[in-house]
Amino acid sequence: MIDVQGLTKRYGRTPAVDDLSFTVRPGRVTGFLGPNGSGKSTTMRVILGLDRPSSGTATVNGRPYRSLRAPLREVGALLDATALHGGRRAADHLLALAHSNRLPERRVGEVLDLVGLSDVAQRRAGAFSLGMRQRLGIGAALLGDPSVLLFDEPVNGLDTEGIRWIRDLLRRLAAEGRTVFLSSHLMSEMELTADHLVVIGRGRLIADTTVTEFIDTHTRPVTVVRSPRGADLLAGLEAAGAVVAPDPGGGWRVTGMSAATIGDLAHHHAVPLHALHPLRSTLEEVYTRLTTTSVEYRALPPTDAAPTEAVAR
Amino acid sequence: MSGDLGDARAGFGEAVRSEWTKFRTVRSTVGVTVALGAALPLLAAVVAATGSLQPDDTILGASLLGGAVLAQLTAAALGALVVTGEFRTGMIRTTLTACPRPLVVLAAKATVVAGVVAAVTAPSAVAAFGIGRVLLDGDGYATGDPFPALAGVVLAITAIGVLGVGVGSMVRHSAGAIAAVVGVVLVPGLVAPLLGDVERWVGGASLNGVLQKMTQSSDATPEAVGSLGAWLSLAVVAAYTLVTVGGAVWLLRSRDS
Repeated sequence: MIDVQGLTKRYGRTPAVDDLSFTVRPGRVTGFLGPNGSGKSTTMRVILGLDRPSSGTATVNGRPYRSLRAPLREVGALLDATALHGGRRAADHLLALAHSNRLPERRVGEVLDLVGLSDVAQRRAGAFSLGMRQRLGIGAALLGDPSVLLFDEPVNGLDTEGIRWIRDLLRRLAAEGRTVFLSSHLMSEMELTADHLVVIGRGRLIADTTVTEFIDTHTRPVTVVRSPRGADLLAGLEAAGAVVAPDPGGGWRVTGMSAATIGDLAHHHAVPLHALHPLRSTLEEVYTRLTTTSVEYRALPPTDAAPTEAVAR
Repeated sequence: MSGDLGDARAGFGEAVRSEWTKFRTVRSTVGVTVALGAALPLLAAVVAATGSLQPDDTILGASLLGGAVLAQLTAAALGALVVTGEFRTGMIRTTLTACPRPLVVLAAKATVVAGVVAAVTAPSAVAAFGIGRVLLDGDGYATGDPFPALAGVVLAITAIGVLGVGVGSMVRHSAGAIAAVVGVVLVPGLVAPLLGDVERWVGGASLNGVLQKMTQSSDATPEAVGSLGAWLSLAVVAAYTLVTVGGAVWLLRSRDS
């Protein structure tokens, strides 16, 4: 379990994380969403004791990370896959980590097998592609068989097969009862991988809820309708207060009215319907809508030359 | 998923073992260690073969002084490299995640560097003295007292390796750290003669001053290096090495990684 309470981290005067509180529970994959610069990596660094919070606390299994005596046995983390010495062989990199936490040397071979790097174990990590480094970093995270796992953008640099592999791995780890905390800006990936979501923008909490509930709560119902008597249907819908716009695929997009109401209305006006298709907003749409006010760097039209707010690191 | 993983506590011993594994698995640290071992015998041979010593010099001083400066610089670079290499690559974050106690991490690094420097320098200092004796025997030079002077030379060079760890951790960049330690090693010798009466204080607390006294060199006049004994001067060097490492630990604790 990861517990973050009232966490604030300032770089100079700019708060990167601002009074953030949330709990990551075991047995499910919790996604950590936010635009670039929203404070995801900072929060993870504070959880891992690498950065000191300006105020507030972050604990893992009830204890501050810096007080853990053999942390790799409790927490596995992949923050930055490039954070290793390129001149060291993959197996030696893992061996040094195993020694630091008094883990048996056999774990090196086991995790190399698990992440599919056994064949390149004796190659220097500097020669690895980003995808291979991600796998090595994931192997390092799993070395101590920890109950809590943190991954910062783990699918970065992975190909389709690699992304599917990590998705299955994360779900399996959560199913084993582990706490899995995963940041990503790839909404589609989160929708497939995460059960629960912690959403932040500008270092503040925007939502802490299940993926399904998040979409349901923030979705405005949109329904695609088609009818051979489009004009009559349109008039009836607008008279009843719906917002109607042409659908790029032909027909109309109706907002502000449920599919059931639209069907009843069509029946009432005796208009035949050829399609009545409710659209579920994707996580991406919901998320984009929620965070547009929180995006730090937004492209401004050339006429609006107001300086954007600078942010540390 | 992984069976029994054994004892769940790890401390200083594990940190040292981990740092040793890291040390021996990278080419740069291994290469610098080889250079460190070669410095003393090589310079002893050059000095003796070219007869580059004063008539009142000892064989001990001639065999060790030139090489010791080189060995100090190499040891300092080695110490710095062990830390700055991790800051350069970001490996330090992985290290501090595996062992979140900066004091333990730096102490383990310093221990490995000290162990390697001492283990490599001790035989190479004896070899350098041996080379000097063979090449300069019968040329009319005093031999000098090799024991415990040789141990003092080894300790002084070892202290500089540890100083390199501390400075490397503070400065975080290889070039900057090495430049800083080179400054500490060489600048007192360049500046002290310009300082009149203060020279003996600066010279006496300098690393080179320690080595000159240890090897009973003719350069070790009270005017140049003060009247502090060789071992007391070494203690001064050890003291500021420890202060530097302490400062590095404090900085590592308070700065974000």
